[in-house]
This record gives sequence, C-alpha cells and structure tokens, in this order.
Amino acid sequence: MLHPGEFGLGKVPARLQPDATTRSICGFCSTGCSLDVHLQSGMAVNLTPTADYPVNLGMACPKGWEALTPLAAPDRATQPLLRNPKTGKLEPVDWDEAMQVFTLKFRALMDQHGPESVAFLSTGQICTEEMAFLGALWKFGMGALHGDSNTRQCMATSHVAYKQSFGFDAPPYTYADFEESDALVFLGSNLCIAHPILWQRVLRNKKNPEIIVVDPRRTETAMNATQHLALAPKSDLTLLYGVANLLVQNHWLDRAFIEQHTTGFAEFAEFVRPFTPDMVAAETGLTVGQLFRFAETIGTRKAVSFWWTMGVNQSHEAVRTAQAIINLALMTGNIGRPGTGPNSVTGQCNAMGSRLYANASGLLGGRDFLNAEHRAEVAQLLHLPVERIPAKNSLAYDQILEAVAEGKIKGLWVIATNTAHSWIDSARATGALDQLEFLVVQDMFTTTDTARHAHLILPAAGWGEKEGTFINSERRFGHVKKVSRAPGQALSDFNIFRLVAEYWGCAEMFTQWTSPQAAFQVLKKLSAGQPCDITGIEDYRQLDAAGGIQWPLTEGMNYEVGGMKDTHADPVSYLLPHNSYLQERRLFADGKFFHADGRAKFLFDPPRRMAEPVDGEFPLVMLTGRGTSAQWHTNTRTAKSAVLRTLYPANPYVEISPDDAARLRIEPNTTVAVVSRRARAECTAVVTPTVRAGQVFVPMHYDVTNRLTRAEFDPHSRQPSYKYCAVRLEKIEKKSL
Amino acid sequence: MTPLLDTPPSAAPARNPSPAEPTAGADDSRTLIDALLAEQRELTAVEEFSRTHDAHEVRNRRYRDLLPASAPAPGQQYAFEVDLDQCSGCKACVTACHSLNGLDDDETWRSVGALTSTDWRAPVKQIVTTACHHCVDPGCLTGCPVLAYDKDPVTGIVKHLDDQCIGCQYCVMKCPYEVPQYSKVRGIVRKCDMCSSRLAVGEAPACVQACPNEAISITVVEQQKIRGKYRGTPTLNVEKEQRRKGEKENKRAGESSLSPFPLFPSANLFLPDSPNPAITLPTTRYVSQRSLPVHLEAADAHEVRPAKAHVPLTLMLVFSQLGAGLALAGALDAGRSRVLTLAALAATLIGVVAGTLHLGQPLKAWRSFLGWRKSWLSRELIAFGAFPAALGAHAVILHPLTALLAALLGLVAVACSAMIYVDTRRPFWSAPMTFGKFFGTALLLGGTGALVLAVLSPAGSISVAAAVALAAAGGVLKLAAENRVFRFLVDEQSPQLTALNKTALLLSGRFGFVSRVRVACALIGGIVFPALLLGGANGFAPLAVAALVLCLAGELIERHLFFVAEVAPKMPGGGNA
Repeated sequence: MLHPGEFGLGKVPARLQPDATTRSICGFCSTGCSLDVHLQSGMAVNLTPTADYPVNLGMACPKGWEALTPLAAPDRATQPLLRNPKTGKLEPVDWDEAMQVFTLKFRALMDQHGPESVAFLSTGQICTEEMAFLGALWKFGMGALHGDSNTRQCMATSHVAYKQSFGFDAPPYTYADFEESDALVFLGSNLCIAHPILWQRVLRNKKNPEIIVVDPRRTETAMNATQHLALAPKSDLTLLYGVANLLVQNHWLDRAFIEQHTTGFAEFAEFVRPFTPDMVAAETGLTVGQLFRFAETIGTRKAVSFWWTMGVNQSHEAVRTAQAIINLALMTGNIGRPGTGPNSVTGQCNAMGSRLYANASGLLGGRDFLNAEHRAEVAQLLHLPVERIPAKNSLAYDQILEAVAEGKIKGLWVIATNTAHSWIDSARATGALDQLEFLVVQDMFTTTDTARHAHLILPAAGWGEKEGTFINSERRFGHVKKVSRAPGQALSDFNIFRLVAEYWGCAEMFTQWTSPQAAFQVLKKLSAGQPCDITGIEDYRQLDAAGGIQWPLTEGMNYEVGGMKDTHADPVSYLLPHNSYLQERRLFADGKFFHADGRAKFLFDPPRRMAEPVDGEFPLVMLTGRGTSAQWHTNTRTAKSAVLRTLYPANPYVEISPDDAARLRIEPNTTVAVVSRRARAECTAVVTPTVRAGQVFVPMHYDVTNRLTRAEFDPHSRQPSYKYCAVRLEKIEKKSL
Repeated sequence: MTPLLDTPPSAAPARNPSPAEPTAGADDSRTLIDALLAEQRELTAVEEFSRTHDAHEVRNRRYRDLLPASAPAPGQQYAFEVDLDQCSGCKACVTACHSLNGLDDDETWRSVGALTSTDWRAPVKQIVTTACHHCVDPGCLTGCPVLAYDKDPVTGIVKHLDDQCIGCQYCVMKCPYEVPQYSKVRGIVRKCDMCSSRLAVGEAPACVQACPNEAISITVVEQQKIRGKYRGTPTLNVEKEQRRKGEKENKRAGESSLSPFPLFPSANLFLPDSPNPAITLPTTRYVSQRSLPVHLEAADAHEVRPAKAHVPLTLMLVFSQLGAGLALAGALDAGRSRVLTLAALAATLIGVVAGTLHLGQPLKAWRSFLGWRKSWLSRELIAFGAFPAALGAHAVILHPLTALLAALLGLVAVACSAMIYVDTRRPFWSAPMTFGKFFGTALLLGGTGALVLAVLSPAGSISVAAAVALAAAGGVLKLAAENRVFRFLVDEQSPQLTALNKTALLLSGRFGFVSRVRVACALIGGIVFPALLLGGANGFAPLAVAALVLCLAGELIERHLFFVAEVAPKMPGGGNA
C-alpha cells in the first residue's frame, strides 16, 4: 500500500506517488509554513510539510495537512452568478456579462452619488500582488476612495502600535527568537492551538526558559506555563503598567538603552507610579506575589521576549496595550538581541502583505496617503498622474459598514472575506449588507454567509490555484504556487482585477501588472528606500530557493550581510539553506528606530472601562477565541475537509466553569442559551475548569458567536473588541419524547 | 435584498459599459477573458520550481531519537510512547496519519481527546493522543471469526489483513478503544498498523514524523511486564490493592472486575478515565513528569450518546431466537409437529439471512468458521449452520430424539449469540442481562409462536396451556433481565456517570417512549393475551396471532435498544480536542 515516495519524502501511498514535487507556502495562518506539494502530471495530489524550511522544520498543523482538500469542495464557485431581479435567485452568467454589470453598477453609483458611495472589503488571505493590484485599481484606476481589509479584525492594532512606537509597522523578530529567549511572555495568545508550529519552536528552546502566560483561561498554552497569570478579562493594560512600575521601582531597567534609543521614558515612569502592586492586584485579581515574580522575571532575565496575539489586539484599548508591551521591552532593553522583542504574532497568512501593500488604510509600501511626498513617490514609480492618488484616508471597516447602514455607501465589493459571520455584532453588519444597492462577493465558494447576500458572485481561484507571495509574521516573503486547476471558469483574484481594469477602461494604467511575477517587480520598486525594502530579492525563483526571505533585503545586501562577504558569485546559491544569518534576521540590532529622531517612543494612556460591564441582568463575561487548530476563522474552508470535521465539535458550544454550571444547575452536554443584549444563541454546554467562574468562552468559528458580541473598537486602530461582552446563560428545558 | 439590478444586463447599451472604455473593443475584451481562462488552466509550478530536495536526511536525522535503536527481543514488542507533557493538542498526528497513509475522506486511525480536572481551583486540561495500542492480548484478534488479525511475532504489531476481512465488525465491538474503523464503502474494517512498512525500513510512523513537539515515539516494551502490571502479579502489591478497591467499587456499580469501565477511573494504571487495561493489555505508554491531580475525567465523560443501530443484527437475533424457541416448543411436544418444525426452520433461516446482510463482504461469510478456537462469532456461525440442518432433518424424520437434538442445538446457538456480546465485557451486555434477554426472547417468542399453532390446529401441536406457560416464563425472564439496568438510573447531575448510568439515562430519557412501548408489547402480547386465551377466549385465533405480532414487535424494539443504548468504552475524547 505504501511505496517509496522518492524526492526525499519517505514512503507515501502508492496511488499518490508523485512524479515531481514543489514547495508552496500554506494559505491559512501567518506562521507561513512551507509545504512540499506532491504532483502527478503537474497536479497536486498530496502534500507533506517541507523538512528543511526555516519556519516549520518539517511540520504542519491539521489545516496545513488538509490545505488541498477545500479546493475540491462541491460548493466551489465555478461561474459568475448574477441575482435575477425578478426571481431573486442567483443565475449563471458569463464573465463578459458579469464584468459589464460590475462596471455599469459601480460607475452608475459613483456617477450619481460620488466616489465615496462605494467601497471594498478585502482580506489577508490573498497574495500580496493581488492586494496591491486591488488597492491600486480601486483608488488610482477606478477613482474610488474607501476600502479596507479584514486585517482590521486581526492586525490593525499591531500595525498602529508599531507605527506609533517605532515609526514603522515593523515586527522586530525572527522565529529563532523563540529558541533563544530565557523568558517568554505570551499575552492573549494561545500559541499551542492558534500557532501550533510556532509552539514547536518554544519547545526547542534549550535554555529552560520561564514561560509566562497572561490569559484569563487555562488554555493549552497556559498548561505549559511556569507562570500562568489568569487575570480578570481586560485588565491587561493595568497589569502591564503595574509591571512597568515595579521595574522602575526596583531599577530593573536598561538605562543606557533608554537614554540612547527612546523618548518619553521619564513621563512614562511618572505615569505608571500610581499603578501600585496593591492597586494592580485588586484590578487584575492576581496576587502581589504573582506581580512581583512576573516583574522580576522580566527585569532580571537576560533575553526576554514578549509575544501577543488577538487577546491584546482585539480590545477597546488594544493599541495602548500593545504599546505597554513594547514599553516593557524598551525599558529593559529587550529588543534587537537574540531572544528578545515585543513581538506580535500575526493572524492571517498575508496579514503583513495587507499591512504593507493593500493600499487601503496606508499608501502602497507602508506609506501615508496624507503625505504629499509619499503620493508623489508612488505616482512617479507607477507612472501615474499624482492627482489619481487620493490625499484622503479611507474609512475603516466599521465606518464603511456604518456608512452602508446609513445609506451613504451603496455599492460594496467583498473579496475573500466573510463579513456576515466574522464582523462584530454580525446581525447588524448583515442588516447593513442587505441595504446595499449592489453587493459583489468574490470568493471560492458560493455558500459563505456573505455570498448569500450578494447581487453578483465572482468565482475566484483559491490557494494552490494561483501564484504570488505571502509575508508571514516574521516579515518573511514566501512563494505560493499554482499546483491545481481552478474549477470551471473561476479565475485568480489577480486576473479578475485585470478584467475589471480592462472593463473599467483603466487598463493602460496597469500595463506593468501583467502577472503576479511582474507585479512583484512593481512591489520591489515601491519598497525601495522604505524600511520594508525588498529590492534585494531577485524574483520568485530566488524566494523559492532561499527558503523565503525576510524584509528588509536591500539591493546589495545579498552580498554583504552582518559583515560577512559572500564568496559565491551566484546570489541564488548563496541563499540556499544553512546560511542562517540570511535566513533568520531581526530588526533594531543597532537601536535605530524609524522615527525621524531614530528613537522609539514610550506611548501610554490611562486604562478605560469597557462600555458593557457585567451587571445583574448579564452577569457573565463572554470571551471568544480560536476553538481548535483544525478550524480556520469562519470555517468556510476547513469545514470542507471530512477529516478536519472529525477534529472539532459540529455545533456551537460554550465553555462554562464548574462553579457557574452548578450554580445555574446546568448539566454538561445539554443545550443552553447564551444571551447578550444583541442576540440569543443556543450552544452545547461544556463544563470545564479551564474557564473561571464569572466567565464563559465561545469559539469564533460558529456563526452565532458574533451575533452576541458588542461592537466596540479601539480608537486608534479601529480594531473590534471581540473578546469581551456581557451575557447570561439560560437553561433550555428539555422536551421529553 | 433591497433595490435589485434595475437594468437587465442583456439590455446594457451595446457592449461598452462606458465611454471611458478604451479603444479596445468588445472583441478584445472577449479575447482577454479567453486568454485569462486559458492561463488559469496552465500549471507552471513543475517547470519553474520542481525540485528534488535532499530533505530525506534532514527528516531521518530528526526522527532517529524517536525510534528504538534495535528490534524487539523475544518477549518484547514495539509500542507507542506518548509524552503527555509535550502534547499540546494540535492534532497534526491525526491528519498526517490520514494523508501519509492515504486514508478515506473521514477515516482516521488516530484521535485526540482530553482529560480535565473537575475543580477550577486546580484547572487541568491534559491533551491525549491515541491510536491502536497494539495490545498484548488484542480483543480484535481473539474476536475475529476469519483470522483477519495477526500479531507480528517479532514486532508485536497487531495488523489487520484487509483482504481477509468479511466486514462483520465484531472487532469494533471487541476493542475497548474504538480502534478498528469500519468503512461502509469498502465493506471492511481497517486500522493502524504502526506504519509497519515504514518502521521496517527505519522510517518513523506518520504520527511520529508529524508531531511538532516530538510527543509520540516508538519504544520497546516487555510483554510480561504489561501483563503483570494490568492483570496483577504478587510483586505488584500496591497496584493490586488499588485494583481490589476498584473491583469493590465496580461491583457496587454493577460492573464486573473485567468491565472495560473501572471505577476509580483516575487510578487507572494505563491512563486516567480510560478503559480497563486488564481486558486487552494495551502497550502504549503514557508518560508525564507532571503530577496530575487525582480527579481527572475524560472531557467527554458527560456525553450520553446513542450508539449505532444494527438492523440486520437485530432481525437476526430475534428471528433466530424465535426459531430456537419454536424448536424448544416442538421438543416439549416430542417433535410431533412438522408445521412447528418448518416454522422454526423458516424463522431461523430468516435470521441467518438477515445476519448475513450485516456483513460488509457477505460472499466471504463461508470462511467465518476459521476462528472457532477463540471467536464466539465463529462458534455462533457454526451453531447456526448445525441448528437449521438438524431442524431440516427432523422435519423429515419427525423423531423425538431429533427434535431434542434440534432444540439443544438451537439453545446452543442462542448461547453462542449471547456469548458474542458477553465477551465484549461491556456492562450492558453482561452475562445476566444478555442471557436473560436472549433466552427470554426464545421462550417468549417460541411460546407465542407455538400458541398460534396450538390455537389454529389443536390436534397436531403442544397444548395451549404449555405454550402459554412457555411464553409467560419467557416474558417474566425478559422483563426481569431488562429491568436490571434501571437500578442504575441516577440523577443526571451525579458527578460521575458509569456506562450503565448512561444506558439507563438513554433508556429512560431519549428512548423513554420507545422503552415504554416495548414493555407494553411484552406485557400485552406475552402475558395478557395468552392469559385471555387460557381463560375465556380459548381458541380465538386472531388473539393468538396478535399476541405473536405484539411480542415480535416488542422483541425487535428491545433488541434495537440493546444496540443503541449500549455505551461503548473509549479513550478520553472531547475537550474540543
């Protein structure tokens, strides 16, 4: 049954024996694992994780192993579908008709109501080249203004926090830092489940590190902590200021670093003074002893790294919380050295691509729409009249939906995201979608919660059916390959954008964008001189051979890195694996930040209360998050795999503490209603000690979850605060047969 | 869906949506669409990026530490070792096994569950990955009627021989760990073979290769030590004491010492809240440096879920037992009635045919005698070959001795049927309950069946009184056997539910209505109507027929519940893991 697979694969099933293999970067999360795709006559038949790729070291999570399966799903979109106004049903049309309707409708709306009457909502799941094309096409080609990405839901906070603190959105780390820390602090991150392949790197740490997990729940990651700080939900900012205060009081500071490389420390030290251990202990529910131990670990260990994910980013004061983490790293000099850094672990496979190139909230290449110099640069690089570049920022995701609800935005183009399920207070978002005069959904599937509301569905090729690059959490560009044929008439997002450019009549502006490979060369030009400079990356071939390349890689850097001269003439062979100084690079080794003065800033604000605290009527805090490593976000892809479906509960469930279950007389495994001020959702009660009394946890992969959540946003990043709302539980009396 | 497209696209002005459209006419656009669709069909990755990487060595180097240095010596075997401290619940092992072994869409040979503490002040969530335990005394192997299991004499790996399997699924019932997986499409069972063909060439099994945390490895274990550890030797006093305590608790809960559900679940030497390792002597070693708290339970311990229904088996058991009962009635009548004998034969044959329909590979069924040395299923099949033959012979000869022989063979066949289930050691299928039910069915149905004949042709059959007595005896025996389980009915909020608690909850809750119908059938068909026949309604044929039909319906329901209300032992699941 099993035969030698050749190609270094070991044995593989005989019927799936490849005649060739190629590498491609996984299209789920931001870890950016490389997968060896097994090919038969050029078509993908199976895959295994790449053994010698510096990110995943031969490993993949269940989603990665099953990455090919969703491509064969029966509900793939195979042809454009247009809603018939008479029957109200979606009916097949050809691409020509679809494109005519698309341009006709959007142009009519823009002509009648102005360029601000339309918007797009895009994604961190498509290739960088595609995002950049979309953003350029929409704003420069079609003359529209508003567009945002679902990275607003996951990474906007990190983006803004880094940008304000460092002068550029620049996560400083490389994954090797997991292995080189002697203390790792995880904040709002269940790495074991959300990024299992990164947890591997933690376990490879040979320094017997302290592992501190800050999370209200006893997560899988908290189970592996040496210190688990189960703080009260949304008390993290207070905790971090309290720790900063302890560091100051105990002189656990890197004075030299603070003086040479930062600004605002004195004010910060003064600001945190009222955050006394007693006050912080009372606010967070932790003991003073826990606080001291936490602060002492950070203050006395040599290489401390801080890792945060959505528990921090999805909060009403998320940016300041992320910056409070950054402040801890800055004041203890834990940055720029191996095993250190305030490190944001990204969500989606190409969230970083979206942050740098989506041309949505920021101008291409990490620039600013409001900066005339930046606009001039981009206009020149893209051979555009500078007036084509808006001197105004787009509305953010929440503001776009608000404008839709108010009738100001009448046409919306949704690309590879599932707003109707994933947006906070989703019933309200869905209601807004139904007000639209024209909703275009461009997706792999016709069945997503959002596609059901569409007037026009454009069938898109999925991951594995197209080419491009992703940028992972540690700034690594990786190459995604075309190893499977898209079904029917589905086209890659890139080619759909080419068609739109053609039909809109602005194709002449995009003559350089003939293919993803060509677009990549455009991106290189756009990066020149920016902190995210990639002019040193040759092309896809080099990316593939090098095992991915982290930004920055400026031209010439190939040949001289870290003071080491290259002895090879050919840059490609030079970049083959085992040149670890090129494969694993971190930022800020020189202490130079991207602000004009070269210094990082201490930024802070007093903590604020949540808008919806628990009360007598809704006495429980509802936390949300990832359920299992076998589910991805709104489950549109992962639910297509039969084997993944065996790995998570089919129905929504709510985790309840044994105390609350006993108090409310809720029996395990019975159906209960989770009720918030917005909705009532029936879930299976899972009684577990990993949730504390007064809290419940509902995973985000079920559509009921965001009907319950309350739309509150961080004022700086406009990222939704998914992880806190007030609910109550109601027993559902069983109907006996 | 407010304002819809007001302008039908077909009516769009010409093909130019706007004057801004460049000179490129409609035909050019058409060309672009065609070009893009054609481009979408091209697969270029091979030409541009295909590679033969030298990753093999990288892989092998990494797994060397996870494989034993040498092959097992005599008395030893390979086993999985799971480092619980390293398992973080990613489940990559499940999908890697699936992909690297080319399993069917929803087929999995490994699964992941969790143990949790019952106290939030000491919250614990321990993830557990599990596959075949390649037991020292594998239940699957001893149950298999066609010897489709092989325990490798050198490696100890329990292999399933797919080409031998007849799809009877008895191994599924015999294994306390839900290991053999039945595929309806294939009509056979398949299971983990520890990737023996990989191990044979020094490659790591798929799950071992795929664990990012190196939590799974292959180790060599002493079979005798495992035997001693789980079944007890004088040297293991502490454990024996623990076991004795557990047995006492078990008895109190109505479960035998060899029940797959040991009480004191957290004191289980194999893994807390997992099936009793004494049954099959699993070899997997779960190791941990952490001190796990005493009160750990499977994260899905509170799930009360009905099991799979087995319609052909339900029909088989009821009709074959009707046959045996009729044969018994015939013997009591000294074998005078040919009609009764033929009725017994017909019922038995219906049962046998129905039973064959249960098999995934019915054409291979003839081989099922092969496992007669160990498998009760083989013995049952042999008995159900002999019993109808004896009935046939008796129908020709009509001698009292052949009647007696047929009746005895019928009872033996029913006993074999019962032993099939008793041998799984599942509490709801314990000997008192199963024998009571199966023989009760034979008596009840044999009695009511004979009653019909006695009423229809009083001359050539046993007396109505004898038939009624037989039926009543069966009815009482049955209801008594069935009622046993309701002793285990508890408040649903009881902290720990045993298998019998769950069965009782299913029978009274989810299947409460069906259960009541079933009791009504037996009472009316087996006792009230026969009593009426015995009394005033003597000779009223429709009443006798109604009694038989009611009893038959009641028995079919009872046998359906026998399967669906049974709670199988399993490794810890749930925990969303």
